[in-house]
Amino acid sequence: MWFGMMILLFVSLVYSIKYLRSSSLVHDVYAQAYAAMGLIFGVLGIITGALWANFQWGSPWVGDPKQNGAAIALLIYFAYFVLRGSLVDAEKKARLSAVYNIFSFFMLFPTLWILPRLTESLHPGGQGSEGNPGINGKDMSANMRTVFYPAVIGWTLLGVWITTLKIRVQMMQLKKEGIL
Amino acid sequence: MLTLLQAQQAAPQSIMLQNGKIFLVMSVVCIVLIGLFIYVASIDKKIKQLEK
Repeated sequence: MWFGMMILLFVSLVYSIKYLRSSSLVHDVYAQAYAAMGLIFGVLGIITGALWANFQWGSPWVGDPKQNGAAIALLIYFAYFVLRGSLVDAEKKARLSAVYNIFSFFMLFPTLWILPRLTESLHPGGQGSEGNPGINGKDMSANMRTVFYPAVIGWTLLGVWITTLKIRVQMMQLKKEGIL
Repeated sequence: MLTLLQAQQAAPQSIMLQNGKIFLVMSVVCIVLIGLFIYVASIDKKIKQLEK
């Protein structure tokens, strides 16, 4: 889920930059839909992570730096949708939210990728070990690898497909309202 | 590492941990699928509104 989320949020970032370059509302629709899907992946990741932690670590929320970082990152993305919802003018909404989206993607760097690497954690791959903060690549058995990476690709493609559905609905709506 | 071990020992052997961890894995899968389904259903609702 986290891999998929990062990929979807990155696509959203690309479309936000494209919007700022082109000022075409189509790109804004794309950026918004990918951010929404990425956020849903993140929320599902944190819920299932809490469920898993409840049985592995004895409590749904142990204040692990990786959990906290992920929660902060998600809250920053929630603010993106709060910002979008609070603006009426389509042009202004698209421009401001594109800038904010770029900011929130770069907030993923400290919250998901830097701070978790600096602190000790209950997750595998904590301080002192090499590699990814969420999973420890060297610890994963070959069996798990063959399941894990196709699963990443599969969930991501599913997410992309649902996002395209959302984009098509959004485009129809905009056409109907005569904005596009 | 010590804290991880302690946490593992502290966790009660509930129904989720009997039979390996398959119930836990299945409930994770169910949550993910339910979440995605709710999102798709919300898109479906919007399509319905557009069709009218």
